[in-house]
Amino acid sequence: MYSNNDDPAVGGGSPPSRFKASGLRSRHLAAHVLVAAWVVLALLAASAQQTLPVARWLAIHLFLLGAATTAIVVWSEHFAVAMLHAPLPDRRWNNARLAGVNTGTLGVLTGVWADLPVLTGAGCALLVTAATAHLVVLVRMGRGALGGRLAPIADYYRAAAAALIVGAVLGWLLATGNVGPQQYTGLKLAHVHVTLLGWIGLPVLGTLFMLWPTVLGVRMAERTTRLARRVLALTGGGLLTAVAGLAAGLRVPAVFGVALYAVGVAVAVQLFARTVRRRPAISAAAAWMLAAAAGWLLVGVVVDLALLAARPLAAVRDDIGSLVPVLLVGLVAQVLIGALTYLLPIVLASGPKERAALRAVLERGWMPRLATLNLGVALLALPLPSPSGTAGILLAGAAGAVFLALAVRVLVRSARGVLQDTEKAGAARRPVLWGTAAGAVLIVLAVLVANSGGNTDGPPLAAGTAGAGAGTGTTRTVSVTLFDMRIHPAWIEVTAGTALKLKVTNTDAQRHDLKVEDGPTTPMLAKGHTRTLDLGPVTKNREAWCTLPGHRAAGMTMDIVVTGSTDDAGAHEGHSMTATTDGGLDLSADFSTGWQPRDADLAPAPGGTVHKIELHAGHTQIEVAPGVRQQMWTFGGTAPGPTLHGKVGDVFEVTLVNDDTAMGHGIDFHAGSLAPDQPMRTIQPGKRLVYRFRADKAGAWLYHCSTAPMLQHMGNGMYGAVIIDPPGLAKADHEYVLVSSELYLGTPGSTAQVTKMRQNTPDAWVFNGVANQYTQRPLTVRDGERARFWVVAAGPSDGIAFHIVGTVFDTVYKEGGYLLKPHQAGGSQVLDLATGQGGFVETTFPAAGHYAFVDHDMRHAEAGAHGMVEVSG
Amino acid sequence: MDTVGWWSLVRFAHVAGAALWVGGQLALTLVILPLARHLLAPEAKDRFTAAAGRRFGMLTGALFLPAQLATGWAMAWHRGVTWASLAEPGYGRTLATKLALFAVVMLAAAGHGIAHAKGRADLARILAVVSLVGSLGVVLLATALPAT
Ligand SMILES: [Cu+2]
Repeated sequence: MYSNNDDPAVGGGSPPSRFKASGLRSRHLAAHVLVAAWVVLALLAASAQQTLPVARWLAIHLFLLGAATTAIVVWSEHFAVAMLHAPLPDRRWNNARLAGVNTGTLGVLTGVWADLPVLTGAGCALLVTAATAHLVVLVRMGRGALGGRLAPIADYYRAAAAALIVGAVLGWLLATGNVGPQQYTGLKLAHVHVTLLGWIGLPVLGTLFMLWPTVLGVRMAERTTRLARRVLALTGGGLLTAVAGLAAGLRVPAVFGVALYAVGVAVAVQLFARTVRRRPAISAAAAWMLAAAAGWLLVGVVVDLALLAARPLAAVRDDIGSLVPVLLVGLVAQVLIGALTYLLPIVLASGPKERAALRAVLERGWMPRLATLNLGVALLALPLPSPSGTAGILLAGAAGAVFLALAVRVLVRSARGVLQDTEKAGAARRPVLWGTAAGAVLIVLAVLVANSGGNTDGPPLAAGTAGAGAGTGTTRTVSVTLFDMRIHPAWIEVTAGTALKLKVTNTDAQRHDLKVEDGPTTPMLAKGHTRTLDLGPVTKNREAWCTLPGHRAAGMTMDIVVTGSTDDAGAHEGHSMTATTDGGLDLSADFSTGWQPRDADLAPAPGGTVHKIELHAGHTQIEVAPGVRQQMWTFGGTAPGPTLHGKVGDVFEVTLVNDDTAMGHGIDFHAGSLAPDQPMRTIQPGKRLVYRFRADKAGAWLYHCSTAPMLQHMGNGMYGAVIIDPPGLAKADHEYVLVSSELYLGTPGSTAQVTKMRQNTPDAWVFNGVANQYTQRPLTVRDGERARFWVVAAGPSDGIAFHIVGTVFDTVYKEGGYLLKPHQAGGSQVLDLATGQGGFVETTFPAAGHYAFVDHDMRHAEAGAHGMVEVSG
Repeated sequence: MDTVGWWSLVRFAHVAGAALWVGGQLALTLVILPLARHLLAPEAKDRFTAAAGRRFGMLTGALFLPAQLATGWAMAWHRGVTWASLAEPGYGRTLATKLALFAVVMLAAAGHGIAHAKGRADLARILAVVSLVGSLGVVLLATALPAT
């Protein structure tokens, strides 16, 4: 920029000549080779984003921490010297600082990549040390220097160095897990803001005050010095406020701070806009790119402000993830490209002719490149469906890669010049060295990609069968959700030897993956994506976690705990069918479309004292668990059968019709008192039977099939409830009937299914016949309303301990009598019913919320005997 | 025909093609071209290297490349490889990486020809070495794949 370029900024002093010293040239050359290398690595990591778990993190940090940081350190020192008219800092220390920054960065990146927190910590420490040294140099440079009109710009670099120190410390806290899940959101946002807006944004803004008029080839506006000070006060102060607010998890100061920052950027942009004159710029390419970059900075800050103002921090943490690529490419990459287009020829060329030649190379095809890059950024920025985002990345990547190629050419050409100056021999072997190095890098990358994400020992096709053969023969699939920096469930217990499959779904807005210790890893899962991991037979305890930097440490972990094999593992032999039928019960899956839950509301008792009902025995396909359809034996086409409701003294005349084609059925109403011989007899297919009983006693009664083997007839669904209201029963706002029972999957009557019934190892426990149905379709109540839950334990083998989480029962009626009434002092937590018993409990819900109701035998609750009451305010 | 079946013949063609191609490159770069440089007069040397390079390029395009693609595709089909399985860890991902590396090697080889034609000797030599080293990487990944 100096000498020939009509440089109003520095005003033709002696410094220019010093920069041409060949030592400085080679130093710049080395620094920019480093920058280019970081960018190449960043591009590679970005292209591997879908396959490597930490690739996105790596791509961002290779670019920002590697390339951008190196460039900023080099150029901020260079400019500070020029603008303060300060003497050049010592070269060896200079090199040491640059080496420190790069080595520290390398340590951080390798530490996170290889999951070595100690290395990450050491890298951060080195980075902080180098950044502090950089800051000290910048501060000392100001002392005793002559100073110039642009001296305030050095303050931008000082503030930026401080921001890098803060950012590195925050990054270390995040990456090594010294942050709990409560502070994670705030500190992550603080880290993103302090690094992007501080370490990168401030030097960019500051440099533009000087670079912009220089590139345009006009004199700097008179008020630049004053405005530069004011903008720094706004942006720096705003950033400080925002970062402090975010770190403390406070949204209001964060919004205020970012607003200040936005005002500062707007003031600067407005000054830049006024600087534009009609005459041609010295480098139109550089000018346009710098202008576009400043535009994206403004856009990014405004969007960030809007996000912070409109949404809770946790949501912003996820949304800001999509803003980062925009700033990364639109601001940082574009500023780098624009500035280097102008500056590289100046620092690398030895004379005006070479400078023009180098600039011509760097400006080649700049207009299409500018258009492509910014179109790409626009596609990334707009909330369009995913293909356009990918297209945006590709476009921006292509534009960046072309510039990179041009820059490498300039660097190589200039390196050749430098080499020619120093040594002329020994060039012949260089191409071979370069080629070998490039090839080796390719191979290492390829092997890394090939080995990523799991074991290559066995072909995946055989894994399933081999697993089943080697273990106990049981396969279990567990649904795992990734949400809100948590893995649900956080704990899985399996019997040793069980072949375990994890169906991993990410429901979080931000991307996660799941890695199993010594096992497979899912790729990065975007929101809503699912991948199944086949662990094979599990024999020892394992841990699983999200591999994204900091997520494991923030609590995204899961334990897979192996319990000893069951005593009667031998009893499972001979029916491998069970493994295939019961393996896949996934209670969190979706029910089929069109499926309706069983209405739990107790219909009012019909008028009159005689109730005539026709009840057909038969079999029906029913969805008994999410996505699982099964043939059930039914009364009235449902399992449980219809609920009969009446009052004491009512007569029920039930006509049982056996619609089954091959099987006899009978019926037994516990609510009636009569000689079983005739009414409870088994009737053959096509036959009818009239069963007449008077309900002399109140209570919640069971009815069921009376045909042997009753275990099978009841276990396959032939049961229901009769509700006889006690006299004087007060009206409740809601009355529900819940019939609890066991669920046995498999073909009804098959050996496998009957074995499960005999051993009492159901596939699920259910309310009203379907596992988890009220978990997915909650019962709805308003707060303060009184609800009555009638419960009948149909078995066939297990009773129930009925409990509602978050409430206390004030009324308990069990087996025909009140154990507790509302005016009494005591409260009740569980309605315990042995198999075949019934009763009701009442409660009022104290406040809006989600109240789970369960069988408090937790094996039952976790295996389907679980529902939800959704209480609205 | 339990051990040597039709599919082992296909695999033989694939492996032999790869060995010949990589071996040919090695022989050219390590033996023939250096010797030509030493023994021939500058003008004859240039003509010889250009002719040797052209012939090897023609062989690659006409013989090795089609044979590798055809046999490779056939084996992938035989093994039941699907597009989706290419992204999965293990066999699929290794194969996908191998294919990608192979594509890069081919690009480097093509770039070598172009650079050579344009008289960019250094660039041509860099690309030739990249292609050679990269094809060793392809062989490495191929040996990591479990047998069909
Ligand atoms: Cu029956």
